[in-house]
Amino acid sequence: MSMSDPRELSLPRQIWRDRWIYVFLLPTILLVGAFTIYPVLASVWFSLLDWNGFSRAGDFVGLDNYAELMRDPLFWNSFRNTMVFMVLAVPLRVGIALLLALVLNQAFPLVRVFRTAIFLPVVTTAAIVGVVMRYVLDPTGGPLNIVLLNSGLVSQPVNFLGQAGLALYSAVGIWVWKWLGVTLIYWLAALQTIPVDALEAAELDGANAWQRFTTITLPLLTPFTIIITLITVIEATNVFDLMLTLTGGGPFYATEVIDIFVYRQAFLSSVPRLGYSSAAAIFFGVCFIALALVQLAVVTRVRNGRSGK
Amino acid sequence: MNSLQSIAKTTISRRSLLRGAVALGAASALPLPAFAQAGDTIKWWDIFQPLIPLHEKMWAEYSASHPGKVEYTGMNPSDMMQALQLANRSNQMPDVFNVPNGTPDVVSSLQAAGWFAPLADSFVFDKPFQKEVLAEGFTSFGGKLYSFPIFSFRQTDTSLWYFKDGFAATGADAAKGPATWEEARAAAKAATKDGKYGIILPLQFVDRMKQHLIDLAQAAGGSGEIDWKTGEYAYASQPFVDALNFLLGFQQDGSLHPASSSLDARQGRARWAAGESLMFFDGPWNSGVLNGNFAAVIDGIDVVRVPYPAAAEGNSYTRRSPKAGTFFISAQSQNVALASDVLQQLTTEPYYIGLAERMDQPPLDLAAVEKANVHATYRKVLSSYPEYVRLSPDPLIRNPAVAQVYAEMKPVTPGLGEIIQGAFSGAFSDPKPVLQQFADQMTAERNRAIEKVAATGAKVSVDDWKFDAWTPGEDFTSDKY
Amino acid sequence: MRQVSGPAGKAWMVLRYVALAAFCLVWIYPFLWLLSASLKTPMEIFAKGLNLMPDAPVWENYSRAWITAGFQGYMINTLIVTIGTVAVVIFHTALTGYVLGRYEFAGRKLIIGILGATFVVPAGLTIIPIVDLASTLGLMNGPWGIILALAGSGQSAAILLYAGYFRSLPKELEEAATMDGANFLNVFFNIMLPLAGPVTATVGVLTFLAAWNAFLIPLVFTFSAPELRTLPVGMLAFVGTNETDWSGMAAAATISLVPVIAFFFVVQRYFVEGISGAVKA
Repeated sequence: MSMSDPRELSLPRQIWRDRWIYVFLLPTILLVGAFTIYPVLASVWFSLLDWNGFSRAGDFVGLDNYAELMRDPLFWNSFRNTMVFMVLAVPLRVGIALLLALVLNQAFPLVRVFRTAIFLPVVTTAAIVGVVMRYVLDPTGGPLNIVLLNSGLVSQPVNFLGQAGLALYSAVGIWVWKWLGVTLIYWLAALQTIPVDALEAAELDGANAWQRFTTITLPLLTPFTIIITLITVIEATNVFDLMLTLTGGGPFYATEVIDIFVYRQAFLSSVPRLGYSSAAAIFFGVCFIALALVQLAVVTRVRNGRSGK
Repeated sequence: MNSLQSIAKTTISRRSLLRGAVALGAASALPLPAFAQAGDTIKWWDIFQPLIPLHEKMWAEYSASHPGKVEYTGMNPSDMMQALQLANRSNQMPDVFNVPNGTPDVVSSLQAAGWFAPLADSFVFDKPFQKEVLAEGFTSFGGKLYSFPIFSFRQTDTSLWYFKDGFAATGADAAKGPATWEEARAAAKAATKDGKYGIILPLQFVDRMKQHLIDLAQAAGGSGEIDWKTGEYAYASQPFVDALNFLLGFQQDGSLHPASSSLDARQGRARWAAGESLMFFDGPWNSGVLNGNFAAVIDGIDVVRVPYPAAAEGNSYTRRSPKAGTFFISAQSQNVALASDVLQQLTTEPYYIGLAERMDQPPLDLAAVEKANVHATYRKVLSSYPEYVRLSPDPLIRNPAVAQVYAEMKPVTPGLGEIIQGAFSGAFSDPKPVLQQFADQMTAERNRAIEKVAATGAKVSVDDWKFDAWTPGEDFTSDKY
Repeated sequence: MRQVSGPAGKAWMVLRYVALAAFCLVWIYPFLWLLSASLKTPMEIFAKGLNLMPDAPVWENYSRAWITAGFQGYMINTLIVTIGTVAVVIFHTALTGYVLGRYEFAGRKLIIGILGATFVVPAGLTIIPIVDLASTLGLMNGPWGIILALAGSGQSAAILLYAGYFRSLPKELEEAATMDGANFLNVFFNIMLPLAGPVTATVGVLTFLAAWNAFLIPLVFTFSAPELRTLPVGMLAFVGTNETDWSGMAAAATISLVPVIAFFFVVQRYFVEGISGAVKA
């Protein structure tokens, strides 16, 4: 039961010695196994079926669904939308949250009220956010357009959610707004790890706020930046609830991200296609894991390179 | 029609048998002696929120005189199908449910998957119009009766509703209303000022927009999604192109409410009723919603039939297929007898009158509206249907094997509703080639499905979609098959 | 951090307050609208543009949401599901995080790899097998099904947070305790878990927020048991076939927001400290 080298013993003996460890793992293995791993494996099986979901089981068709997927322009459209969404939304969310965190990291009266205000959208159900934001962005009575028109910034009302070329960007904005509070908290936590005395010493040496930020705060934040970005990237692939209530993937598939494509195939079309839908989800999941591994490899290499210097 | 006749026959012969039994009991003709055990409860799911008061009253009356209760769950229309799928997998199906968007292709897929139980043998119809609407693939499978419609097929989603004062202010003929496309467009243009618009279209609700387009294409003389003379898909035909251009015309004129693109029918209706636009396309249920939620404005509203291009005057119809059955009994139900008995209550005259009074979809017996206490707009809409809503032929009635083709066909995307959305959102500028592509894809998919089904030995061909006896202005009644 | 002194500092402070207040006001404008919509009639909601003040507050919207639409029951269900999920998640992720963070054993790498891969499982996709399983296990008609399904999906982050924190604690802790005769269980429950307070706070808050707003799983688990619906699912009841009860929905949304805002306002300090405690490690 110590951290001694496990290779000293044969495997069964190791397992017997570590039995309490496995007992501790049991609840997670059961729960995650049942509600995360098993469903994924089942979906892999579904992806090999032609199955409308009405019947109990489908017909085995091998890789036909994957082949059809490769030819389906709407699948690639949703793939592209997911990528565009991620590339735009992640830096915005991480960056704006950092700026706000720098302001709100100081102790002053009402700071809790301000933090709570920014956290407000996070605790709101996506269904409500969808309803409310459709009103806020409404081209005729919506407050945003009224403000834009009155200030003379635009001469025609902007149809934020109804224009094919604009809807995805509007959705990015709303998503950043909705989830910024979480990232803000992460950054606040990260900023708390920065030693105050180092900053004070720099101030005594005559460094201004910007110099202190770039020379002390920023380098110390680098590891957090990687973690926070990674978490945000993962969250950016899961925008299902919000997109469904905001645009439902429209207009004309302009905001159809992978989740919505999967959902549409599985449940929304009059005759569902569960096999095809599963194939889309599995294919995207594999692509994403590959992407994450590449990212991880790059980060590791950069880090090792640095520490080697 | 063999199976149909056999249903009619069996129901009639059973009925005469039962008549004796009922006469013995000297009871009223319809509610049959309950077969259910005392205290049984059936679960009932549907999406007909407007009908809840009617149904709850009916169930309460039923429970007062029969052993057996109904446990009702109102479902959200967009989640209903998903709920049913999951309930079916987990053996939690309600005893009675409706199939949302229950078109014959969906219903036949469900039947093929073994979802339904036939109505109990005790089920009877006692009015001729009830038997007329029964059809294999719609209400019956393999000659057995599974369901029946409670609504009339004579209806449309695309009546044009408008504010009387606002319309008169455009200088148009207030008595006639916006009857033609040209008049509707001109009125919309004239009404667009001071932050108000001519019309709201629920562009986010693709299924509704699809129905609007089909109705309008038929009003322009088209036969519908299928050209019954040739059996081909007609999506790229001139009436469809014209109808889409008519709708796009509102956008070009600036008379389309700009929020339309992100509105569904519920939101569109609410904002139209709040006075944001002059006109709104909607079905007869609009009377019911206005009466319930916007009672302050309903008396200032009028309605005309589906508008048509002036050139198509006299050749402008709405064509609807027979209606599939409304409620089905689950194959998982342990209480088919009780469920059938409760469903029997939905075939009585008081029910049809009650249905009319909910001002939702028109009751199967259109004449019931005469005896019902309804708003003038509802009466007007319903009374116009016999003038221009016609029964169209359906390949499924001619050849039940067509159901297998429907079950085999996979949805083609982008569908008609999405294409309309795309045309409005600027995803493409010329809709005609897109409609042509859709028609071609549908044709190819149908051919593939026919081939696959025919390979199993079933007798199906493209000719099943072709009806030489069809004439545009007439009902395609059962004797014409 | 910045030392505030003199009139310039004061001006800077006032400026910062004004700027922050303006920013926050814009940020929460949608909620002000929601609040105002909850007190308006359906016609007023769309007719009044920027004007947030209702003609006469319609308190009846709240009683309709709370009683007629059944939100009092939904509130209790949501509390049960949320608290149950938080308890189960803390229990199982702490156990796993502890052994992953402090022990080397056969299969450790595999478990970490699998947890990493499950970070990216799309939520909507796996719902059908989950329902199959839950109905096989007879979990469909009680809050336990929802709690276990929520607690079993997507908890990699919590496990890794615990693992990181436990790893950072000094090794001497166990050694001293073991010498005093404590066994594996004693060490964990009496020494390690209490020390992990900051992580527990973080995991608890994040799980609370996620479970409170969870939609898909409570939705599909309550299709045939409407009496078990949670607040987000109950919101659907306002969307009917032909109409949406906007003002009732706004009132219900406001009702379901109040507890969770209050909760966050109170716990945010522990929350931030918890995360920084966890990441510092």
